[in-house]
This record gives sequence, structure tokens and C-alpha cells, in this order.
Amino acid sequence: MRRTPLGRRGLPAIVALAVGALVVLTGCDPSTTPDPQVTATPEPTPAAAAPVVECDDATTSYAPDPGLTGSTVQAIQARGSLTVGVSADTLLMGSRDPLTGQIEGFDIDVLHLVSAALFGGDPNRLQFRVITSGQRLDVLKNHEVDLVARTFTMNCARWQDIAFSAEYLQAGQKVLVTRDSTATSIDDLAGQRVCAPESTTTLERLKDDYPEVTAVSAPTHTQCLVLFQEGRVDGITGDDTVLAGFAAQDPYAKVVGDALSSEPYGVGVAADQVDLVRFVNAVLDRAKADGTWAAMYDRWLHALGPAPVPPASVYGRVPPR
Amino acid sequence: MTQTIAPPQPAPLPVPSVAATKRRGALSRTPGRMRLAGVVAVLASLAVGVLGVQTGQAQSKALASAEADTRQLVGIQDVRNDLVVADATATNAFLVGGLEPPAQRATYDEAIASAANGLARLAGSNEADAELLGKATAGLTTYTGLVEQARANNRQGFPVGAAYLDQASTVLRSDVLPELDTLVQTNADRVDSSFDAVSATPWLLALGLVSLVAFVVVQTWLARRTHRRLNSGLFWATILALAASVAGAFVLGTTAASASDVRDGSYADTVAVSKAYSLANDAKSMESFTLIKRGSGQAYEETFQSETAQARELLAGVDDALVQSLDAWTAKHAEIREKDDAGQWDEAVALAISTEPDSPNAAFDAFTTAASESLQASAAATQEALSGAGSSAVLVGWLILAAGLLAAVLSWRGISKRVEEYR
Repeated sequence: MRRTPLGRRGLPAIVALAVGALVVLTGCDPSTTPDPQVTATPEPTPAAAAPVVECDDATTSYAPDPGLTGSTVQAIQARGSLTVGVSADTLLMGSRDPLTGQIEGFDIDVLHLVSAALFGGDPNRLQFRVITSGQRLDVLKNHEVDLVARTFTMNCARWQDIAFSAEYLQAGQKVLVTRDSTATSIDDLAGQRVCAPESTTTLERLKDDYPEVTAVSAPTHTQCLVLFQEGRVDGITGDDTVLAGFAAQDPYAKVVGDALSSEPYGVGVAADQVDLVRFVNAVLDRAKADGTWAAMYDRWLHALGPAPVPPASVYGRVPPR
Repeated sequence: MTQTIAPPQPAPLPVPSVAATKRRGALSRTPGRMRLAGVVAVLASLAVGVLGVQTGQAQSKALASAEADTRQLVGIQDVRNDLVVADATATNAFLVGGLEPPAQRATYDEAIASAANGLARLAGSNEADAELLGKATAGLTTYTGLVEQARANNRQGFPVGAAYLDQASTVLRSDVLPELDTLVQTNADRVDSSFDAVSATPWLLALGLVSLVAFVVVQTWLARRTHRRLNSGLFWATILALAASVAGAFVLGTTAASASDVRDGSYADTVAVSKAYSLANDAKSMESFTLIKRGSGQAYEETFQSETAQARELLAGVDDALVQSLDAWTAKHAEIREKDDAGQWDEAVALAISTEPDSPNAAFDAFTTAASESLQASAAATQEALSGAGSSAVLVGWLILAAGLLAAVLSWRGISKRVEEYR
């Protein structure tokens, strides 16, 4: 692994400070936001209430840079651990194995890769912070964590508040029903109760695009599974990655239909930590290229079929200034 | 104003018969009036006796209901404690992982069985509480079902188990504990009003003063009429009635005072320690949830802090040894938080689930054992003090009645002697 030979003092530090200050300054200036017609409300309470932002570059991130000289990257290295916001109950993506107590899954493996790249090959310098979907934006905006890898769909509204890495997984929203259900898609569930977690794109889409379905929300996706098993909802909608984990826990459930949407997953980073985004992108690109990504996919998501071609990284976003 | 009947009209009436004159004269003349005075004295004596019996019975009843209500209250708190113990055990066992330690499983089972038994017994002992207890029982059934599902999923390594555990705790805290808290409150109110009644009843004897006034009036009148200073029968009757009332008031007052000592002493201790015990157990669940939530459990830790602070306050007035024991445990808890806050989650969990002699769990066990021993002792002391007191109140009541009857006989005989003198 790459290790910076530079000390933590001297010129690089000054540069880092300057860059950091610049980023902070520009980040605070609303007149320079790329999309000025959206005056982001000071505290957009749940993300669901946030205005719909249209754009065509939701998956466009900052160009990769494997260098370890950025201020954020340096600060993390100095701290000795990477603080990450994850799910502990989304089987296959990020869940705590009750037997070992370890949090594991596809999202978690992505974070292990970043840790290894930051800390000379040690994949376990991770400080987990278990969060709900609804907390994802806030923990980044408040700089409580460095990265969020929690089935995090990249979209334009979220780009207003935070930054994303390049896309690292392509998910699609589907629906989970009981095994004996005759429904073959969400359209067959009119008048029935379908659960989705709070503050997610999934819930928004359910409410907006399928008004004839009774939307039921729960604090976490797994709470939806509890409601489903208790017969209090008839179905759960969510990304195929998440639903595959549910089907693995409940043999009386099945995932049906074609994807209602395409959900590009990105690693969430605070908006003012562009150097960290670039670093993560470099890590992701390497994993996509050298087969690590495919191995991870096969390990966790084989229920969805053989590993596809990794999603292409799209770059070209210019840091706000 | 027209008067249809005017019996005491004296005078110029046309020729009354001799017999009628005699009878009418009976009350207007001295012997008749004396007999009337005798009746007044007898009634006054009987009134003292009846008042005594009534007061004794009333106090005994108040004591009995104070005893029953404290028992019900302590019983409900016991059930509440069982439930928080069960929940604290279940959440702590969850931290351990899929393979639950048998000892913890046994503690959980015991606590649930004890709670279920307690709920059934409490519903039988006070009908007024039955409805809320029914709701609590229904909630408990849901709770245990969810915990079992959490366990089954956990055992298979399914993360949905954690969600079931979460829901179980929510059900416990939203459907079961609030019902029990309402019951604790209504029973505490009942206990208070019973204790109030116990202290208020001796004042009933003050009504005996009316009788004493009657005695004095009768005797003054008699003395003036007969020109003799004392009528021994009436005199002794008065003394007896006065003595019985005063002695009765003293005994019942003493009972009331000792009941009030129980109220401020062992009963207050029972309630305080029981609340503290419950708070500490709930805080224990919060400790586990803080770790389960892993970094997002700040709210749980805040609840832990406020609950243990409340528990400490409650115990401070009761037993310093318990306060120290509680402090020893919260100090151990601080070690867990220190590790978790320093990013050593695995070490924090290892410490939280350890059962070594020096572990937080051991400190917690030491506290809960001491608290429940203190609880049992003070509850037993309360019951004992209250159950004996009622019978003496009843006895005092009967003694006053006997004194009243005796006074009635004495006063009638005293008056009779004077009446004899007119024959």
C-alpha cells in the first residue's frame, strides 16, 4: 500500500490548511451553489420533504486521486481510524452477525478497502457508527463520520448537502411479497399496505409514483421485515440488494417484478471533503479494475446472479467554489 | 303562623279530667322532668359507647385497607421490577450474540414467570385494578412473543432478530409499564387515603364531648332542683364516659401515630427502594441498547444517567449502603462508556457481558441483590406493623361500648333514686 513519505508538518500541512479553509469558505457561500434555484432550506428535516432536484449528473463525482496529501485524508491518518456510518441490520450489505458480533456485508467491504488504502494495508481501522437511513445526511453534514456506506442512492437533492464517491453498485427498486402472493409487480399491490423505511428515495417513489398503494413507513428497513412477518404490511419495497437479504432471512418471502428504478449507490462524504471523495474514488476504481469488486459481489450478492460488469465511474464534477 | 297542636299551652282550659291533668302534669312537675333528664343521660352514655365501637371499627377497617393497598402496591412494583429485569437480561444477552448464556436465559425465564404469576394474583386481589392489569398481561404476552422471535432469528444469525428485540422493548415500554405505573399511582393514592383515615378516626371520639355537655347540663339542673351537690350515679357515669373517651382517643391516637410512623418509615422505604430498583434495571437495559446501537445510542446513555441519578436520590434517604452499591455499579458502567467512546466497541461489549467477579454485571448483581433484600425486609415490616394494629382498635371500640352501657345503667339508677324521693 501507498504510504506518504512526507511528514505531517511543513509545506503540505500549510497547503492542506489553505485548501481546507478555501473549501470551508466556498462551501458556506450559497451564491456559488451549482444549482441556484434551489435555496436549500436551513434544516431540511426529513429528506423526504426536501425539494425534488432535477439534474442529469447525479452519478458524476470528482476525479480520483490516490494521493494522501489532502487535509481530510491527513487528518484521518493522524487520528488512526476511519469513522464510518453503516447499517447493522441490512443482511448482505451491512449487518451485524449475531454469532460473531462483527458487522459485515458488501458496503462494509467497500469501507475495508478504503481503510486498507489509508492505513498501510490494515482493513480494520474502522470506527463503526450504526445509523438509520434517516441519519445518513445529518451525520455527514455534522462531520460526525468520515464516510457513509449504507445503501446510499446518489441523487441530485442529496448532492445539495453532501458529496458522493463514484457509483460502486447498481441496485434497483423491487418489491417483496409473501411466497403465495399472485402479485408480479408493485402494480398488483393496489390498495395493499407496502412498507418502506423513512427518509429514503424508496419511500418517496412509493408515495409519488404509486398513490394507490398504502405506504407504511418504518424507522429502518428491517423494521419493515418485522411488520411484514407480523402481517401488518403486505409487502416491502426496497432495493433488490436489501430485499435479497430479507428473502435470505424469510423463506416465505419472495422478490418479484422488474426494477422500478435504477439506484446508483455511492459512498457518502461531507460536501467540503473533496480530497476524501477523490481518494475513495481511486480506491473504488482499483477494486473495479483488479477483480476485487467482482469477488465482493460474488461473496455477498450471488443471490442476485453472477457478478455483472462493475458500474462505470463517471467523473467531471467541479468542486463548488 | 297557625299552630295546629299546642301541647305545652298551660291553663284556662275547660275542666280537664283528673287522669289527664295528672299525666300532663307529669312532665311539668319535677319527677317527670327528672325522668326526662335520666333518659337524656342514658342516651348520652349509649352515644359514647356506640361512637367508641364505630370509631374502633372504622380505624381497624382503615388499617386493613392500608395493609391491603400497600400489599397491592408492592405487588405491582414487584411485577414491574420483574419485567425490567427480564428486559435488561434479554438485551444484555443479545449483546453476547447468538449463543445465549444459560444462566441469563434462566434469569429471564424466572423473571417472566414471576411477573405472569404476579399479574394474575394482583388481578384477583383488587377488582378495581383488574382492567389495567388485563391490558398489562396482554402486553406481556406480546412482549414475550417478540423476544422469542428475536431469539429464534438471532440463533439463525438473522439481523432481523435485533429489530424484534427493539420492538419487544418498545412494546414493554409503551403497552405494559405505563399501565403498571398508572396502577402504582392509583394504589399509592389509595394507600394515602387509608393512612389519612387511620389518623383521622380518633377525632371521631371528640363527638363524645356533646355527650359530656349533656351530662353536665343534666347534673347542674338536678343539683339546683334537689339542692344536693352531687348525684353519685350520674357523677360516676360522667367520669366513666369521660375516661372511656379519653383512654379510647389515646389508644386509637397511638395506633394512628404508629401507622403514620409506618407510612413515613418502612412503607416510604419500600416505595423508594422499589422505584430505585426499577430505575436501575431500566438503566441496565439502556446500557445494553447504547452498545447495540453502536454510536447512535446517545439518547439511551442520557436516559441511563437520568435514571441512575433518580435512583440515587431515592436511595439517599433510605440506606447509604445501597447508595454506595449503586455508585459502585455506575462507576463500572463508566468504564464501559469510556471504552466505547474511545472507539473500543468490542472491548466495551466484552466488559458489558462479562460475569467475572470484578465486572459491571457483578456490581449490578450486588446492587440488585442488596436492594431486593432491603425491599423484602421493609415490605415485611410494613405488613407486620399494619396487620396487628387493627385488632387493638376493635378491642378498644368494644371496651368503650361496655363503658357506655355501664354509664347508662349508673345514670339511670342515679336519677331513679331522686325520683323515688317524690313518691
